Amino acid sequence: MSTKFIKSKFWVEDIKEEMMAEVPISVVEPWQKDKELKYVGKPESRKDAYDKVSGTAEYTFDKSFSQIAVAKTLRSPYPNAVIKKIDVSEAIKNKNVLGILTPDNCKDNDWYSGTSKLLDKKVRYNGDEIACIVAETEQDAEEALRLIKIEYEILPHVTDLEKAKLDTAAKINDHELKPREYNRGNLEEGLKEADIIVEDKFSTSVAVHNPLEPHCSVVKWDGEKLLVFDSTQGIWAVRDTVASQLGIPASNVRVIKKYMGGGFGGKLECGKYTVMAALLSKKIGRPVKIVLDRKEMNQAVGNRPSSVQELKIGAKKDGSITAISHNAYGTAGAFPGSAGCSWPARSLYKCPNMKLVDTTYYINAGKDRPFRAPGHVQGTFAFESIIDEAAEKLGMDPIEFRVKNFTAVDPDWNGPYTSKLLREAYIAGADKIRWKENRKKAGFGGGIVKTGYGMASQIWWGGGAPPSYAILKLNWDGSAELVSGTQDIGTGTYTILAQIVAEVLEIPTRKINVVLGDTGVCPFGAMSGGSMTAPSVGPAARDAAEKMLSKLKSAAAAILELSEDKLEYSEGVFSSKDDRSKTADFSKLFGHFREGVLVTQGAREANPEGYAINTFGAQFAKVDVNTLTGKVCVKHVVAAHDIGRVLNRKTLNNQFHGGIMMGLGFALLEERVIDNYTGKLLTTNLLDYKLPTIIETPEIDVIIVSEEDNKVNNIGAKGIGEPAMIPTAGAIANAVYNAIGVRIKDLPITPDKVLNALASKNN
Amino acid sequence: MQRKISLIVNNELVEVEVNPGSVLLDLLRDTLKLTGTKEGCREGDCGACTVIVGKLKNGKIKYRAINSCLYPIGNAAGKHILTIEGINTDSLNKIQKLFYDEGASQCGFCTPGFIMSLTAHLLTHNKLMYDEVVNSVAGNICRCTGYSSIKRAIKELTTEFVSNSYELDDLINKGLVPDYLPGIKERLISINELISERSECLQKHHKIIGGGTDLFVQTPEELFEHDLTFISQNDMCEINFKGNRCFLGSTVTFEMIKTSTELQQYFPMMDDYFKLVASLQIRNSATIAGNIVNASPIGGMSVILLALNASIIISNKEEKKVFHLKDLFLDYKKLNMEKDDIIEWIVFNLPNGKFNFEKVSKRRHLDIASVNSAMYIDDEEGIVKTVYISGGGVAPIPLFLKRACEFLTGKEINKENIIRTIEIAETEISPISDVRGSADYKRLLFKQLLKAHFLKFYPQQIKMGDLL
Ligand SMILES: Cc1cc2nc3c(=O)[nH]c(=O)nc-3n(C[C@H](O)[C@H](O)[C@H](O)COP(=O)(O)OP(=O)(O)OC[C@H]3O[C@@H](n4cnc5c(N)ncnc54)[C@H](O)[C@@H]3O)c2cc1C
Ligand code: FES
Ligand code: FES
Repeated sequence: MSTKFIKSKFWVEDIKEEMMAEVPISVVEPWQKDKELKYVGKPESRKDAYDKVSGTAEYTFDKSFSQIAVAKTLRSPYPNAVIKKIDVSEAIKNKNVLGILTPDNCKDNDWYSGTSKLLDKKVRYNGDEIACIVAETEQDAEEALRLIKIEYEILPHVTDLEKAKLDTAAKINDHELKPREYNRGNLEEGLKEADIIVEDKFSTSVAVHNPLEPHCSVVKWDGEKLLVFDSTQGIWAVRDTVASQLGIPASNVRVIKKYMGGGFGGKLECGKYTVMAALLSKKIGRPVKIVLDRKEMNQAVGNRPSSVQELKIGAKKDGSITAISHNAYGTAGAFPGSAGCSWPARSLYKCPNMKLVDTTYYINAGKDRPFRAPGHVQGTFAFESIIDEAAEKLGMDPIEFRVKNFTAVDPDWNGPYTSKLLREAYIAGADKIRWKENRKKAGFGGGIVKTGYGMASQIWWGGGAPPSYAILKLNWDGSAELVSGTQDIGTGTYTILAQIVAEVLEIPTRKINVVLGDTGVCPFGAMSGGSMTAPSVGPAARDAAEKMLSKLKSAAAAILELSEDKLEYSEGVFSSKDDRSKTADFSKLFGHFREGVLVTQGAREANPEGYAINTFGAQFAKVDVNTLTGKVCVKHVVAAHDIGRVLNRKTLNNQFHGGIMMGLGFALLEERVIDNYTGKLLTTNLLDYKLPTIIETPEIDVIIVSEEDNKVNNIGAKGIGEPAMIPTAGAIANAVYNAIGVRIKDLPITPDKVLNALASKNN
Repeated sequence: MQRKISLIVNNELVEVEVNPGSVLLDLLRDTLKLTGTKEGCREGDCGACTVIVGKLKNGKIKYRAINSCLYPIGNAAGKHILTIEGINTDSLNKIQKLFYDEGASQCGFCTPGFIMSLTAHLLTHNKLMYDEVVNSVAGNICRCTGYSSIKRAIKELTTEFVSNSYELDDLINKGLVPDYLPGIKERLISINELISERSECLQKHHKIIGGGTDLFVQTPEELFEHDLTFISQNDMCEINFKGNRCFLGSTVTFEMIKTSTELQQYFPMMDDYFKLVASLQIRNSATIAGNIVNASPIGGMSVILLALNASIIISNKEEKKVFHLKDLFLDYKKLNMEKDDIIEWIVFNLPNGKFNFEKVSKRRHLDIASVNSAMYIDDEEGIVKTVYISGGGVAPIPLFLKRACEFLTGKEINKENIIRTIEIAETEISPISDVRGSADYKRLLFKQLLKAHFLKFYPQQIKMGDLL
């Protein structure tokens, strides 16, 4: 394969990554705008839908082996403590208890950037891992855990963010978290130039991923080789962590992820549970299964950090923004992490002067993990709220104000975007929700139930990047198998990859089998997160398919004794342009080969130089607010986005609807609550940590304003997972303000906050 | 301490030794390896474990959707259980096909639960109304799809049956439910005979289990060690009317009350009140007695029954006692009841006057209230003859607002008296701050709910502006 190595730059969350990546030298041209595509873009049903609707899909959660044993974890009841003594003698008496891990077995297993251990004698939050027991049954393991006797030295804790900011706060982690600062122009000058200044403070709660399938692993040793079934969004991350934690060659670890019940970022990295299961399994010589319960899911496997955001915006009478100050702080738990959320303020609009500071504080709580558009969801809510405030103060329509500050280049370095159809999104969205006709002055109207309209914009990366590879095997009968080490976590990756291959080879998708999620057989593929998967792996699949077509063409030319430029290809048949009777189909071609299968490897090409790659969009919300009970009911959401080419209308709609509902949950319902006095987590189940139900689902319209983005990659597509969720909460919050004329600045917007705000307004 | 039970799972007779403290989900997934039924929480909050339970009553099988993660295995004895595996045929059925076509299954982990809820809805109705079908899956959480695709699938499903009533045969002909269903009844009858022979030995109880929706959430590990009596297997599962009195059997479920046509004559809004309580799967299991005995300060049933001035009939080995429900609650989770007391019946007078129930929670369904309240009022020419007001979430117990009721009795319905009633009510409550809201908020909200009662009762006389 003709490839070269390049330094590949891309954004993961708000960190610019640079890594070497192998990319093809000759780049496949994107499909032209006017080319009619037969498979790509069509609303094909998911390839794996049959297994799912019939309940036959086997998830890691369902995986079992004969002789399988079950592991359970002991977690700290205290938010901050040192373990003085662990006595396991009672716990291991029962013959059904097979093995145990304690901090004594984990001295070499660094975790959380070396600030902790797999099992540590210092526990830093209610839920921190202390020991792990493997037993015949879950009940045996749980009983044994209750028999472990521990002597704790209980230390003062801090779970309240405002207290954590104080110098007097108990020290939680030695690793220092440095504030991140970004400056452009001169903030003070910018504020001086301004005719109006608005200033406000917003906050958001910690949110928890809570995918429906709990985090779980099933592990099995075969001699020196370890087989890991894992509910993961990143098989390679799991493989590499397990290998290095166990000190065995990566090639001895095979990680398989087939079906999984959602991730949303929480399953991007390897969990402690997987490593503990592998260690215990080795110890007892039997396969081991470990499944987290819902309480552990809410304690210990990541969350979206909280935020407090102090924002100040200066603007001229004509609406141009002259200055933005964003001072944000939040917590990402007890270990190194980031609560940064200033990116939307930095990049959404044109603004010459700004100062943005992000500070993260430790508290005694579970660590953060990426959660669908990290930072952006919180940041966009606050920033788009203050943008609305500024527009109101200027007497401008919120959309007009945003358009006024539209930037055609990346405001950071003035580079052009590969595409930016944000204004088109405003127009399409406003039109659909009938913004002009429907939206009234804030607080307008009487009656118990008041209606309001609001909107917010969105920016995210999502263009994908190398490295990602795909192997394509074409069989003698015209069926094909595409193999890539990415995962389908419910997003439809199996389906869109098949559509891409089908498009190139002109064979029906049902003849294409897609194999993903197995480090034992797949070449490297992107993690399933950050809207990276489709735009990273899709082009690799296309590259592999195009290479296959070239290969077939040269074979056909040889067999038909014609030069390649004399050949035409259609639906599995090569024919001579001059003499239609001269044809070669797959069976004819393969009849001449010794092998019954041809193989090509494709790679994701480099991203274009000199461009900023982003997704854009705007969402519009209509809400009803009951002024008697304080309940907010979202009636309608319109989402209008620029995401490049639509690969599959059905899976795209799904992603958008799911993202919008997750945004709605973040806006109105979801909130991790810790009792600051005891430091214990209170929202340990799905009754107290509330996810939206079907009843909360409003009417939703999804409009895609882009046809394709032909600069971005060979399939012209950008990711959609994160863009879908980013602006929802901001749009809802602005709509609530528009309904009742008081702004709720703290998410989630629960009935109590609405009632209190209304009460204080009436006073 | 194992116990043998017999039941039919899908099309198979299953006779197994079980620990009576276990739940149906464990039998299905662990023993029978029917892993199509999922588990997402084990606390009744997600619906991933939804299966259908068929119970033989008066020669008919009544099906309903339940959360198998909280369904006591003892209650499954003698029942027909239908899981996703049991409705699979050679090809996808209509519901499955709609999910397939609409992309209503993304990661798919919630999908079997949704499909079973919808299948149960088909089996329990003979006509489909879009809104009702949507409500039937309000207890099923999906984190991926945002539900729109599921709504579309439901829309399609309802148009399939538009304005037509249907029978079981129609469902079978359309391939929506398996064709072995009609034969199940005879097979259940033969197992049920075995059960009644054994029920005697179940009487020497230590712990009474109703629907299990409280016990299996609170103390699942303890149940493994108790001798259990599965009271829902007995015959107090009836709603009877004698004169102007209603007798609710203690094992009557929330859903039975919600759908009782007789009760609806007296409480036309009954369906609406109970739509707000838990989820369908929970309502199908949760019993009235369980709700009263768990003594949750926001127990929906308790609050409603308090405002109906209900009495309870309790029995133990020695005696039968009757007293007012409002005298049952002593303090937080403390009841005026002995360990061996069994609630048998709940009795109340059918109302002449007006009745209303209000509940506010963060989420609209599948939620426990922050605050709730019920009120019964009977007036003659604007003068209050009888009034009962209750509140939940505003005290350590479900609260009967004695002084407020005393004040309003005999008074005229007007703005001043209502404001005064609310002021008095406010002195009777003592809410605390918790996950569901701060004390101040609950106080504020409770007053709003009281206003809401009056606004609903007297829309002509009282306006929102009067009560501000
Ligand atoms: C997801 C979810 C949502 C919920 N939402 C609500 C809600 O919105 N509103 C609300 O009010 N409740 C709600 N609940 C609580 C639920 O309604 C109650 O747990 C239920 O009514 C209890 O009934 P049960 O029959 O399942 O009780 P069980 O768990 O069987 O028993 C509860 C207690 O009652 C005792 N008991 C049962 N029957 C008798 C009897 N006949 N005599 C004496 N003692 C008896 C048991 O020994 C036990 O102590 C919810 C629960 C869940 C899981
Ligand atoms: S597993 Fe969630 S309701 Fe049963
Ligand atoms: S499809 Fe993933 S939870 Fe519903």
